[in-house]
Amino acid sequence: MTVPIQVIQLTDLKQDNNWLSPTKERRGPPLPYLFPFPLRLRSNRRRRRRAAARAKPPRTPPRSGGGLPAPRADLASAAAMGSIESFNRLVRLAARAFYDDISMKGDNQPKTSRGDNRGMAVVVLDALTRRQWVREEDLAKALKLHSKQLRRILRFFEEEKLVTRDHRKESAKGAKIYSAAAAAAGDGQPVTKEGEEKVKMHTHSYCCLDYAQICDVVRYRIHRMKKKLKDELDSRNTIQHYICPNCKKRYSAFDALQLISYTDEYFHCENCNGELVAESDKLASEEMGDGDDNARKRRREKLKDMQQRIDEQLKPLQAQLNRVKDLPAPEFGSLQSWERANIGAFGTADPSAADPSRNSQGPYNGTPMPYLGETKVEVALSGNGVKDEGAESGTNGNALKVLPPWMIKQGMTLTKEQRGETSNSSNPDEKSEVKDEKKQDSKEDEKSIHDEYIKAYYEALKKRQEEEEAKRKIQQEGETFASASHSERQVGMKSKRDDDDDGIEWEEEQPAGNTAETYKLADLNVEAQESGDEEDDIDWEEG
Amino acid sequence: MFFHIVLERNMQLHPRHFGPHLRDKLVSKLIKDVEGTCSGRHGFVVAITGVEEIGKGLIREGTGYVTFPVKYQCVVFRPFKGEILEAVVTMVNKMGFFAEAGPVQIFVSNHVKIQKESEVRLKVIGTRVDATEIFCIGTIKDDFLGVISDPGAAV
Repeated sequence: MTVPIQVIQLTDLKQDNNWLSPTKERRGPPLPYLFPFPLRLRSNRRRRRRAAARAKPPRTPPRSGGGLPAPRADLASAAAMGSIESFNRLVRLAARAFYDDISMKGDNQPKTSRGDNRGMAVVVLDALTRRQWVREEDLAKALKLHSKQLRRILRFFEEEKLVTRDHRKESAKGAKIYSAAAAAAGDGQPVTKEGEEKVKMHTHSYCCLDYAQICDVVRYRIHRMKKKLKDELDSRNTIQHYICPNCKKRYSAFDALQLISYTDEYFHCENCNGELVAESDKLASEEMGDGDDNARKRRREKLKDMQQRIDEQLKPLQAQLNRVKDLPAPEFGSLQSWERANIGAFGTADPSAADPSRNSQGPYNGTPMPYLGETKVEVALSGNGVKDEGAESGTNGNALKVLPPWMIKQGMTLTKEQRGETSNSSNPDEKSEVKDEKKQDSKEDEKSIHDEYIKAYYEALKKRQEEEEAKRKIQQEGETFASASHSERQVGMKSKRDDDDDGIEWEEEQPAGNTAETYKLADLNVEAQESGDEEDDIDWEEG
Repeated sequence: MFFHIVLERNMQLHPRHFGPHLRDKLVSKLIKDVEGTCSGRHGFVVAITGVEEIGKGLIREGTGYVTFPVKYQCVVFRPFKGEILEAVVTMVNKMGFFAEAGPVQIFVSNHVKIQKESEVRLKVIGTRVDATEIFCIGTIKDDFLGVISDPGAAV
């Protein structure tokens, strides 16, 4: 027994969303998908962070821009190569869960058992997981499908947002431009697949899986399925829909006022005056009847059962989603950029660039870039007076944020606490040590040396701390008055620093005229809970 | 939810009202025109509490009517999604019941065992806002919602 998951099609869900629109007329074109943006944003940011953390640009000394993106892109593409398998598995699982028995029939064709092509969708999706951008004719040939049939399936998947397609008229003129470009690139005849069809004037379609979007779509679909069931189960916050059995016109409870009839106690259709029936019961059962308690109880049981089965049967899919969640999705870019990457690879005749990973190389990996700015803004917004108060209340020995390594970038001006650095006066010798460490790191990532260094570093810190503790005690005994003034100052400093913590745009707020003494006091407070694990990521700009 | 806000309106006044009581006429006409109306943006205008400012009148060509821009304070009622309201049941049918909370009509589906004229506490789960009309959908399936006084029991 399988869950009738197909009951909840994405198209259905779109219609469900229609009540959101404030207009009276709710039969217009379906709302555009609202969801990809927030979801995409989040996943992109995560991807970005991971890539940044992996690339660790701060380890290398500051250099003039331009060279920076290269290592990051390399690493990202390597990661994409590793993750593509899990994404493909996700696609295959999703295909079997949701598109298993979708029949690609035109409405005009009779449904005979011989022409039954259920499961075709799964085959096509599977085939796409083994390809990148592919011309639909080629795919049809490979699958031994009629190209019309394939096109219908692909159109369906395009609507489901699993596949991106591109149609292009490959005219003689375009081909000329193309061959000119190819000639300029250095080899006389084009080697890519467009070569042989340059004289024709046909429209060709290409298709490709959109992995990032697939993740979102699947997640959204599962979310909607569960939400719908849950809402139905406690019939809470659901807006009742009605349908006319005659003309199939749908109404929602918002139309109730117009639907009342004064002759009997039912709602009547505006068109055909038929009696409307409540629609949301279609999920649960036919035997709902007049809503007597017994039927309601049965319905609840049925819903609960369905919920359970969904959880059970979607478990592998959910697990795969979780696995994939933090991986960077493989991106092939648009057809043009993908091709450009390919042409570039062929043109330079670089075998290493010709492997599939080329597609996620930095310059062509367009989509995540526009989100960068937004992310920045979002983070910067949270820095406010509220935080200030928190910092002030936490003055006595509590919480200066240490920045995680991926947030520290070149060109930032940071306080030492934010870097995870602690002691000020021991800077010069440590700096050189850190630099040594950097060199070693850049030569080869020797973890053990690094660890040992950190251990030694901590030892030194501890000693230093103890020394200073003693020193401070003496000081305090001597001049209580002075220390009071220090602590006051401290309050101001900390709140400032915490302000800095919240924005990404770092301003030079650090008061320049700090005496060494105040520093020591502040640092003593911090050292105790310092984790200080990102010494290797620091660029020293001050001191 | 109720709001006390300042709104503005252009009032057309017939020339026969020009005279010593022009201002009073204007205000009474304003009250007559505006109270009880509904705009999708602000909600139902429940009452006008004061007139802030009456601008300079402008004589319309041809008719002799004069247009005054009037600023007035008023109490408006605008239902929101998630708001809890107390309402009186006005009609029950097989699909649910209709209730009124002041000027707002609220439909609650699937509850047919409720008497007309009883008072219910309900939660608004959806509003349909047109230019001149607000219609709500409510539910009584939540904690502390439901019938709060029966007409039969009260008497």
